[in-house]
Parts: sequence; C-alpha cells; structure tokens
Amino acid sequence: MDVRKILFVTKFEELWFDAVESLMDLRKVSLDHVVFLNVIERDKVALRRGKGYQKIEEVRLREMANIRFINWAETLFERGLEVGAYIVVGSLVKQVITAVEKENIDLIVVGYEKKGRIEQLYSSSDILEIIRRSQTPVMVYKYKPDNTLSVEKPFERPLFATCFSKTSQKVIEYLKPMAPVIKKVTIIHVADPKSLKESSAMGVQKTRKKIRRKLDELCDMLIAEGIDASPAVYVGTPAKEIVTAAKECNATMVITGTSSNPSLKEKLIGSTPRYLAEKTIIPTLLIPPVT
Amino acid sequence: MSKKVLVVDDDPDVRLFNVTVVEENGFTPIEARDGEEGLKLLKEERPDLVILDVLMPRQSGIRLFRDLKTDKSLKHIPVILLSGIAKRTFLRSQKALTEFGGESVPEPEIYLEKPVEPEELSAAINKFIG
Repeated sequence: MDVRKILFVTKFEELWFDAVESLMDLRKVSLDHVVFLNVIERDKVALRRGKGYQKIEEVRLREMANIRFINWAETLFERGLEVGAYIVVGSLVKQVITAVEKENIDLIVVGYEKKGRIEQLYSSSDILEIIRRSQTPVMVYKYKPDNTLSVEKPFERPLFATCFSKTSQKVIEYLKPMAPVIKKVTIIHVADPKSLKESSAMGVQKTRKKIRRKLDELCDMLIAEGIDASPAVYVGTPAKEIVTAAKECNATMVITGTSSNPSLKEKLIGSTPRYLAEKTIIPTLLIPPVT
Repeated sequence: MSKKVLVVDDDPDVRLFNVTVVEENGFTPIEARDGEEGLKLLKEERPDLVILDVLMPRQSGIRLFRDLKTDKSLKHIPVILLSGIAKRTFLRSQKALTEFGGESVPEPEIYLEKPVEPEELSAAINKFIG
C-alpha cells in the first residue's frame, strides 16, 4: 500500500502547513501528489434565519481559502509535487468522501481541535465516519497550541497498538513500503487486566508470553522488510496505556486499527481514537478495518 | 469553421469569463474542469489554442502543460497560462520535474496572472489565432 496521494483537510484554524511539511519525508517512498480541501460549513453562509444564502460571505471565505492554498501550493509545486485544491460548501464528511473518490486518495490528513464536549463528540464521530465510509487511512493531527512542538517526521518512530485483529495485518502491509522513512516501530498490545486473572504468577506469565509471541510474529514481518521493530506488553485501559507507551518509547505517531462497527458505548462515551486525539500531542494514524 | 479554444479551469466563474472572451473574439470555446478532462479534450478536439489554469483538482495545469508539450502530436498547440500561481513557481516546478527524470519542456507562450482584464486576454488570444 503506497501513499502516493494525500488529501489534506483543513479549516486553517486547526491544521497548518507545517503538518504538510512533516509528511514530506514520504516523498522518499512514493508521495507525489497533495490535494487540499477546505469545507465551508453551511451554517457560515446559509441556514441563518431571515438572511437567506449569503453569497458574498461565501465568496469572501472561498477567496480567503484560495489565497492560503495558493501559497501552500506554490511551495509544493516548486519541489516538483503535484498539487490540487477544493474549496466547497457543504458537510465535512460528504465532501471528504467525494474528494477521496474523485482523487483516489491513499491517506486523509485531518486536524482535531479540542472543543466543548458536544463538539468533541461530533468531531470524533466525523472522523470515524470518514474512515468507515472511505475505507482510507486517516491521520489525525492534534490541535497545536502555541507552546507545543510540532512533530517533524511522524513516520520515523511510530507506535503500533494492536489487538491482533485482521486489521493488524493490514497495518503491517501499510508499514512495509515505509522502510526508507521508518527508524523503528514499537508494536504494543494492551491486555485487559481481567485476562490476567490467573490463580498463579505462572499463569499470568504464560498469558504474557503468549501475547509477546504474537507481537514477535508481527515484528518479524517488519524486520524481514528491513524495519527495526520491537514488542511491548501493557496492561490496563487501551487508550490510556497507548498514551503512556507513546511517551515511554518517544513515539512520533500512534497507529491503530478501527472497528467496523463501533459500539454505541464507544460512540457516546469515548472511543480510543478520540482519547488518543485528545491526549497525545503526536499524530494518530487510524487504519480502516478489513472488509 | 471558427478556430477552437480549450479553456481549462476548475472555477466556474473564471471559465465563464474566459469562454465569453473567446466567443466575443469569434472563436469556439471548449470547456474542461480539470487537467484530466483537459487532456482528454485536447486529444479528441485538437484545439488551436489552450487557456490553462494551474491549481486544479485531479490534474494540475503544470502536469497538463507537461503532457501537452511532450506529446509530438500536441506540442505545437500554443498555451496561455492564466493562474493565481506565480510564473516563477510554474517555471521552478517544471525544472524540478525535469530534474526528477522528466523531459525538458519549453516555457509557456504567454503567462498571465489572475485576474486579467478582457482586453488583455483578447490580445493574448489574437496573438496566436487572430
């Protein structure tokens, strides 16, 4: 799975050009085309009681986005990259899916801005909906407060959190062609504390050994491709432990699979991707499930 | 039969402007919304002139220009670049693509920066096919 074409979705408030710059390392692999997408939300130009459709406001927003995209495009064009841009009015999910289909996108990059509780639910469900409908990996960049350092090369030291589903194999296949840009991959599994409720220490150790063996198998697949990989077992709540592991191994990005049918509880209370987007300062790469 | 001008731009307002200027000068416009569609129409319609934007979805004007100028049967067709992207960027981009192993391409016949006045575009069109 080569990442040849990236769709960069931005509202400008939460995703900057330095996020695009951080992905330029992928040129060593296969990246040669960046497509920018700015979705003007309908409520900014329409749906206002008594005002009708505000065409002038739409033109203003379009031109503001256009000026920004021209600046970004010029930088990328001069490096020999192919660049495209869409500025559209509509719903975020629908417009992203449309652009993915038209452009045959390999990776979607979106920003995640910490907002109020209701908006957070909305934003994370948007991201999960995009993954579910487009079947395209999504990289979520955390909202960057002024005092946060940006990640220069997300693919340099990724942390892959696996639950040994079929998606794990998909992630491995995704990482294999990235060998020229990866220095080391840490593959972790977060075990449920309940699964370690053995009567003896030996029982617990056996469970750990079994998990470790499975992780070794995944590592070996990457090592065979010339990618340094090491396993680690954590115990506890997946999202929290992944954040801890990312800090401990100085990861530049977290990679995780997504469920094909997230439970209602996950949707309403808090999914792992949302927790990761909130709690890590590094990007999160979400891989769609195997269909 | 009047000469054909292929107008390639993703912005419908700009396309309408360009098409109007082409018609006002007595030529037949053909419209394309992006580089891919533009290349297809280039091969099918064999226009006498191309008015080309740079930053577009699916395929940019930079790639379309390269495709056109490296195709033996198309490279004689003059191109007016009409874009918000600076000419300097366009030339550097072509140079970078050549360095990446591509074929060297000539400079565009005319490069106009958006927005243009109708008279300016008319003069450019008539320079080639008037």
